[in-house]
Amino acid sequence: MPGGIRVEYQEELERLEASALGGLDLVSSAVSRTLEAIEHQDVELAQIVVADDDRIDGRYLEVHQALITLLATQSPVATDLRLISALLHVLKNVERMGDQCVNICKMIPLTGNEPPADQEMVKLILAMGGQSKTLISQAKRAFEGRDIELAQDLVRQDDVVDNLNRECFRLALEIGDDADKREWAMTMLLGARAIERIADNAVDIGEQVAFVVTGLFREFEDASHPVR
Amino acid sequence: MGAAGATRAETDVGDAEMKPPTTSTQSTSKPAADVDGRPAKTIEARGVDLFYGDFHAVEDVTMTVEPNKVTALIGSSGCGKTTFLRSLNRMHELTASARVEGEITLDGQDIYGSKVDPVQVRRLIGMVFQSPNPFPTMSIYDNVAAGLNLNAGRVKKSEKDAIVERSLRGAHLWNEVKDRLDKPGSSLSGGQQQRLCIARAIAVEPEVLLMDEPCSALDPVATLAIEDLIGELKNKFTIAIVTHNMQQASRASDITAFFNLEETGKPGRLVEVGPTEKIFTSPSQQATEDYVSGRFG
Repeated sequence: MPGGIRVEYQEELERLEASALGGLDLVSSAVSRTLEAIEHQDVELAQIVVADDDRIDGRYLEVHQALITLLATQSPVATDLRLISALLHVLKNVERMGDQCVNICKMIPLTGNEPPADQEMVKLILAMGGQSKTLISQAKRAFEGRDIELAQDLVRQDDVVDNLNRECFRLALEIGDDADKREWAMTMLLGARAIERIADNAVDIGEQVAFVVTGLFREFEDASHPVR
Repeated sequence: MGAAGATRAETDVGDAEMKPPTTSTQSTSKPAADVDGRPAKTIEARGVDLFYGDFHAVEDVTMTVEPNKVTALIGSSGCGKTTFLRSLNRMHELTASARVEGEITLDGQDIYGSKVDPVQVRRLIGMVFQSPNPFPTMSIYDNVAAGLNLNAGRVKKSEKDAIVERSLRGAHLWNEVKDRLDKPGSSLSGGQQQRLCIARAIAVEPEVLLMDEPCSALDPVATLAIEDLIGELKNKFTIAIVTHNMQQASRASDITAFFNLEETGKPGRLVEVGPTEKIFTSPSQQATEDYVSGRFG
């Protein structure tokens, strides 16, 4: 009897999980393009990222609707219910990460056509973006493998992003009195901030992994009650 | 005491007379008081084994049916949940060759004690069955009063009228039948008939209500009406309900007990019992998970 019951439902749930987690691949390529656009001040590429966000939003809407239908028609409970709840969160995180890429890309025309005021700061932001991509793929692997340890390790990976972000802030403070330079630095800081949020969203996905496995939800890190 | 007495260990408390609630004074633990100030009672099963002749139907069940809560017994067909439910008011022993080992107590009193009258046990622990079974030719009024006539001897007409009304109100049926109390019970719809049976069961003021798939013969609307009623009745009674409907267990119960059968021919066992919310969101046993998720029949 095992495996013979509710096969279609199980297959649909597996398909939806793959589809929701596939949204992370879409986000990862959006982040790559965003970084490229920053590095080369490529306004056209930035516009493509903005337009392509519709694909991420579409994925969100499609999988979200299908999960709601499963809830309504299949009465999932126990692990299935936790999985569906977690996937709804993951979808939201995917959608937010896509929007952060859009936020960054909309700012790229504002940075002007002059060479970057501070090459060091650009390097830091590219490093933040690369590290965020590491978090995104690690969050995906942790979810697929229901791997709590890998999920919790996201906190450590996120610390790298946070430190780079602080470094950006320091460089922005030291950029000097030139008004154009300061405006550039401000814009770049907002971009750094958006990347930092993308990494936080990846950590949130890790928390959902722990929820699916244990049935208990807790934040890995609580910004309002930091351990340090 | 019937067939059960030969094999089960006698205990001291078992020899005490079962007392109706009005004269009971020896309750040791302080039970939860209901809205009327009437305490509901706790059923405890300890190491209960149930047999039909040589067939070992249920093995080693230890669990508590808590007062003022709805306890749902779930599990696939043949897992022993109904047999276990029937053992809680000695209905089980009405089947020839059935016997019970272990101990079942109602607020500490052994219901299988040698001096305990099984009829008295069944008055204190009422049962509502799968398909509505009102006495078909009896009027609605007499259906509700049937238990009173059997149990209490002579009851004054005015008193009986009051009990019938109270019971029908308690079963959410009064408004629908108050103008046709003399019509036969069989003139009611399925859902009404089941509520009539519940009214009949609560007319004798039991401590505990056992329900064996009370909604399986009812449509969804009548089912929800019964579930609402169950939710209200738990304020007065201790309730245990056997159901095959997983959503019903998750909607209507506070505690869920999952029974399972390892394979055909083996006895059913209690796999897991816990708060319904936990059983349906993160059960601790894989067998429970598979059953509530519908991965097993």
